[in-house]
Amino acid sequence: MISWIAPLQPLLLGLVLLWSARLKLLSPHAAAAAGRSALAQLVGDTRALPAYRLVGTVEAALALVLLAPPALPAEALAAAVLSLGFTGYLAYARIAAPESSCGCLSATRTPVRWRAFARTAGLLAASLLALPATTGWTDVLRTRPLPAVGLLLAEAALLVALSPELDRHWLDPLRQLKVRITRPLPAGGFEVPLDSTMDQLHRSPVWRETAALLTSDLREHWDDDEWRILVFTARHAGQEASAVYAVPRLRYQPAAVRVVLVDEPTGQVLLARQSPPDTPEPDWVRPSPAAATA
Amino acid sequence: MTETLDRRRLLTSAVVGSAALAGATALGSLAPEAAFAAGEQAVEPGAPDPNFAEGRIIGISAGMLFVTGSDMALWRIRITGGTSIWKLRPTTFDQVAVGDGLYARGLRLPDGTLAADSVWVNIVNVHAHIAAIGRNMLHLDHKGKRIVGHLVPGTSAARYNDTPAVADMSLLRVGKHVQVIGAWVPDTNEVEIATVYANA
Repeated sequence: MISWIAPLQPLLLGLVLLWSARLKLLSPHAAAAAGRSALAQLVGDTRALPAYRLVGTVEAALALVLLAPPALPAEALAAAVLSLGFTGYLAYARIAAPESSCGCLSATRTPVRWRAFARTAGLLAASLLALPATTGWTDVLRTRPLPAVGLLLAEAALLVALSPELDRHWLDPLRQLKVRITRPLPAGGFEVPLDSTMDQLHRSPVWRETAALLTSDLREHWDDDEWRILVFTARHAGQEASAVYAVPRLRYQPAAVRVVLVDEPTGQVLLARQSPPDTPEPDWVRPSPAAATA
Repeated sequence: MTETLDRRRLLTSAVVGSAALAGATALGSLAPEAAFAAGEQAVEPGAPDPNFAEGRIIGISAGMLFVTGSDMALWRIRITGGTSIWKLRPTTFDQVAVGDGLYARGLRLPDGTLAADSVWVNIVNVHAHIAAIGRNMLHLDHKGKRIVGHLVPGTSAARYNDTPAVADMSLLRVGKHVQVIGAWVPDTNEVEIATVYANA
């Protein structure tokens, strides 16, 4: 059994390391990814990018050696040592720089969580599995193509599942699909949210005139037929009063907003404002008398 | 209750009743000297604003909140009839509980208390990504930490692309960035959502 599984592991490890090295050596986002990773804290901001590139070079070199024909136990051992090094790095990042990004397989910001550790453990297990390999992966692929490809796909799927940076390619679409099917969020009725009324109030001419008098945020509100009444506290002429705004509830007409300032203990109205009614068109749109007669 | 209704009826008729406003577009003066007769208190640049308080409520007594600030300052915050209180929605003093966090703005009185104009209880402002969506629930990813946002039917509203708020939440998408204004549930990673800002 192990005789055909072991030789396949260098192929998997090599591909993963190449993928990882591609980010560190070739990606235009390498500098940003290095700056966000815990390396910046470990070796300093200025040396983070060279260190990052060095890791990438080691990964690429090891990947090529693993993929190249003679399967030697020393290669697998080197991969195991590298995986252990990754684990140490992740532990350092988790403890010393918990906000830092992993910088492992993608420039996407991915904090170090249990999945990163599990993925490294997976790589370590693959490296140890590869130790007893005596033949190359090309031989296994030739003699048992179906089980070999099946095993590689399963291992790759496991590694993808353990890579948070790849979530947006498979997990997010799956969740979006689930939302499309189950529709868990309310589609909303015909009621107008308070925020919408507040927005209309803020766009009204009356608000522009009187907002400076207000001392409090919205105190209370209720609906009265076609109006929504909003009550604030205001200070006017050295006296505290309630600013009562009436905003159209079901139509959008900021010019229709009205306000009164009421001294509540006495019920006396201190100030009342409403905008002049909307003119249907500005003056300059109307045809001039001369043009009309012509 | 009837008192509240009577008061509301009175205020409603004051503002929308046509009799009070027959023909007139304005009553009373808005001239600056009339409006700001009390005068403004200036705060020195860089100095802490004496009229602002924040912290966790450690005690409540009649009309007074005892609050420990994040700098361990002890605040006494006086709630008056003119104080607005927000806790997910505009609410009343009896909804405020010990353990809640708050921001308060008002006027510092000579006895050291803060006479609050406005109090915002448990208010949070979070920029996050939607990691998953459940039944009336948004799982938010906030800098790698998980926050559970509960949608409160009838209160939660969404603003898409800066258009006026609607109750329709169905345009929210997994993986998208959102800003959430909500009320924190004390000592948990959960918030009740007041408004969610998103692009659609």
